[in-house]
Amino acid sequence: MKAIFAIASTTVGEAIRRKVLLIILLIGVLFIVVAPGLGILSARSETTVLKSFMLGVTQGVSAIIAVILTVYMIPNEIERRTIYTILSKPVQRWQFLVGKYLGAVMSLLLMMAMMSAVMALMFFLQQQSKNAAEIAELLKGPMMYFVQMSLLAAVAIFFSTFVAPLVNFFLTVGVFLVGVFFNPLFQSLQDNQNTATLVKKAAWAVNTFLPNFANYNVQNPLINQNSAIQNEGRYYLGITVYGVVYICILLILGILIFDRREV
Amino acid sequence: MAAAIETKQLTKSYKARQAGTINVVDHLDLHVEEGEIFGFLGPNGAGKTTTIKMLLGIIYPTSGEGFVLGKEIGDMDVHRLISYLPERPYYYEHMTGLELLKFYGSLFGITDKAKFIALLEKVNLHRDMTKTISQYSKGMQQRVGLAQSLLNDPKLLFLDEPTGGLDPIAHREIRDLILSFRDEGRTVFISSHELSEVELICDRVAIINKGVIARQGKLTELLKGGRIEITAEGVPESLLKNLNLPDSNLRVLASGLMLDMPEENDPNGVIDAIRSQKGRVISVVPRRKRLEDLFVETVTVKGGKS
Amino acid sequence: MKRTTSPLLLAVLVVAFALQGFLQRTVIFDQWAKYYNPGKGKVLSTMMSPDQLLAVLAGFREITAGILWVKADTFFDEGNYDAILPLIRLVTLLDPNEIDVYATGMWHIGYNFTDEEQRSDRRYLPSALALGKEGCRQNPDTYELFFEEGWLWYHKIDDDYPNAVKWFLEAQKRPDMLTARKNLLGMAYQRTGEIDKSIDTYYNLYADAEGRYKKESAFGNHQNRDTLESNLDNMLVRKVQRGYQAETEHRPLNGYDVYPPFDVGFSVKATVVEPNVIRFEGTWNVLPVGTRIRVVLRDLKYPHAKPAGMEWDFSNDVNLDPPRDQTFMQEQLFVRNRRFNKKVDMSKDPTMYPFTSDNYVLEFYYNPRSAPPHIQDKFGWSGEGMTDKNFLNLNVREGQRVMFASLPITRDMIKRYGDWVDKTPVVKTPNYQESSSGADKDSDAVLKIPSLRTLGSSTVK
Repeated sequence: MKAIFAIASTTVGEAIRRKVLLIILLIGVLFIVVAPGLGILSARSETTVLKSFMLGVTQGVSAIIAVILTVYMIPNEIERRTIYTILSKPVQRWQFLVGKYLGAVMSLLLMMAMMSAVMALMFFLQQQSKNAAEIAELLKGPMMYFVQMSLLAAVAIFFSTFVAPLVNFFLTVGVFLVGVFFNPLFQSLQDNQNTATLVKKAAWAVNTFLPNFANYNVQNPLINQNSAIQNEGRYYLGITVYGVVYICILLILGILIFDRREV
Repeated sequence: MAAAIETKQLTKSYKARQAGTINVVDHLDLHVEEGEIFGFLGPNGAGKTTTIKMLLGIIYPTSGEGFVLGKEIGDMDVHRLISYLPERPYYYEHMTGLELLKFYGSLFGITDKAKFIALLEKVNLHRDMTKTISQYSKGMQQRVGLAQSLLNDPKLLFLDEPTGGLDPIAHREIRDLILSFRDEGRTVFISSHELSEVELICDRVAIINKGVIARQGKLTELLKGGRIEITAEGVPESLLKNLNLPDSNLRVLASGLMLDMPEENDPNGVIDAIRSQKGRVISVVPRRKRLEDLFVETVTVKGGKS
Repeated sequence: MKRTTSPLLLAVLVVAFALQGFLQRTVIFDQWAKYYNPGKGKVLSTMMSPDQLLAVLAGFREITAGILWVKADTFFDEGNYDAILPLIRLVTLLDPNEIDVYATGMWHIGYNFTDEEQRSDRRYLPSALALGKEGCRQNPDTYELFFEEGWLWYHKIDDDYPNAVKWFLEAQKRPDMLTARKNLLGMAYQRTGEIDKSIDTYYNLYADAEGRYKKESAFGNHQNRDTLESNLDNMLVRKVQRGYQAETEHRPLNGYDVYPPFDVGFSVKATVVEPNVIRFEGTWNVLPVGTRIRVVLRDLKYPHAKPAGMEWDFSNDVNLDPPRDQTFMQEQLFVRNRRFNKKVDMSKDPTMYPFTSDNYVLEFYYNPRSAPPHIQDKFGWSGEGMTDKNFLNLNVREGQRVMFASLPITRDMIKRYGDWVDKTPVVKTPNYQESSSGADKDSDAVLKIPSLRTLGSSTVK
């Protein structure tokens, strides 16, 4: 456990010094800071646009960071031969992989917490009279995005155990896109009576077995607060458990592959 | 003495697209005694690093077996007793020397700061331990690498090209450190192609070429069999020819005759023979065999056969 | 050294895989679809370009929609109305919670497509209604679009009032409905002839206003209560005066304002004065101002057409491409001094009036439900006090006495082709008489000033 933690915290130390990530993070924060000025871009209330934009930036920037951070994580260790000094110590491969993954998640947590804090601050400054509850409500978005990004990082780590970084990038982004966009397509296919049974079954399988990233896009009711959501807590718990289970699956598969791999 | 490393027919092969299977390490039988400095020599691409990685359990052998400190390779317990310094390693540059030791120490569960500082003193880095690795010179990076490799007080160290790319002074520092390891009773396994280094510090060597062990043995034994040049004047050519010395060359120079022959051929007897004929011995020059000769000889002759 | 996989690990994998699938299917998906799905399952029909899709992917649906809507605003300023339609569609697809865009879009589609004489292109109305219905589906928790949909029926279509009532009732179910807007339901009930329900509505509103006034005696609350009180008062008086009470109790109507029914004496002549220009002249014996007779000129086989209108609500899909090869002209004929005379010029807008088929129909329609109160005082809410010896119709609108007349006309006539190049086409009702004959000047047959304050007799000598 100590070894895992040591690897994880080293990974964080490295991640928060990676210039690419810092620049992306900075751009994200800048966008959030200028967000209150964008209210004029809509016929609707400024608050809606503000929330939508801030959450959009947080999610988008987090996704970019999550992918860039994790895609190169294992290959860099191998290329720089640091992995050899570590694996020649009494460290199992699974510990290394899990440590690296936890490091990625901790880095994401740090960066996303920073963006969320800036977001909350800007929202507070913009909406002077609003109470803390509304800000807390808004922060539900980044919380669920964090689970989403952790799942995304697990996908990237899983792929990084057997494909090159560039291929991994496209694979991971692909899985993310499918995971985000497939739900409505799946729904329409199931509702459409003309769809062939085989197609329906295939859609069902994709929707059931691939990581479903759309689950975590909870921003819609946060931006447009017009209906009381029943069992919100249960839903959040559900998707969090789902995320953790799926992350475990990806890590176990990753370990099985990584264990057999020549590094 | 017990064997620190023992391999039996250890083989690693890769499937190549056109050439079928390539044996990068080919039925290797290696034997390293405890407490010695063992030189593992070979040209680039001979299979040195592959062998070390197999011994460390980072890659898996295709066939054969190997034992490190008496345990089958890959055994995690052995990892507590060994350490590895890869060729030109990179360390997390954002860390200071001390943080680096803390990190690697934590992989063993070692948290003793005094120990880290003592190790840094040993490699003469204690004055620079709060600088980040990115500020270290190559020699300093190599030394901090050695310091981390000593964290677990290893019985066996694997050093892959430990002096590669270093300037002469750094060379010397590293060399002295390695020699001190032997005094501390550690076994050191050095892979290198820098023969002058190895010649100076190793007890035994193995020469590997194209995955096959070409020579293995004590350095003193392998380097046996130097030659000797005897130059003399005032003796007939026939005299030296009649001595019937194997493996010798006789050349006629303006100043006299020069005989070049193996050391074993009793040089004293030859000198006596020259003097008995009133000849005058001008010079006797022994030419000791060097590791480089052995290496070139081995790699070119034996390498050719496979 | 062989790497072996522990069977336990494999078992864990299988179980975990099954568990995530189970969670996705049972706990997560339905709730997602209910609350978190941004488009409520409409994405398949989205025709978005890849970069727009990317922006959406990045979580910028709302901002993209916002930017597009700003763009639409500049098109508004330039009067480039056609360019706005796709933008409205795109914005509402991107951000289906843009209530204002739905509302503006409905208004725009319903009102802004006009010809040179400011006549709306009614071929678009089903699209406006469909957009509103979609907006209601996407935003079921707020009253706004339900109210807008009702308003479109009530004000723009100005016919088929039960639909207005239906949507206003839906709006009323939403807790965020503004009190001031609830009045409209009372008005809509009058136009469906459900007077008791209208009165009930006013009673409820009055009780509300009274309660608010008691809680806080602000001027606004006071005024609001008084307005409602006088509305209610009027309604109660009218209910009696117009004989509604008697009618519901099956008592004879004589003695009430609506008895006997008054003959409006409709007649019309339509003259094609120039190609695509028609002058409508005719008679209507009601002297007070406020009468508008609807005239419709449409393809004989206009899809979903019905007498003097169409089945406006036939589609649930927003179709921004109405039947462009068909013509549907609707206009109001204002009566002044018992006559109307209006030239309708359809020559300048060939896209709105393409006249591509051979046969057309002219329809004339008057419905007392849309009439102003002073005329309703005589005619009643559903035409009880109105008749026409030639054109009274009890069928075209169920439960109502309306005036309806229809005359066939051909494309050749409208466009002055063939025989009509130098012969002026005229279609008229058989009872039409040129005004010079003076037949209609007979003041006995003229409805002058029916009023609540007269003694119950509606025709005044």
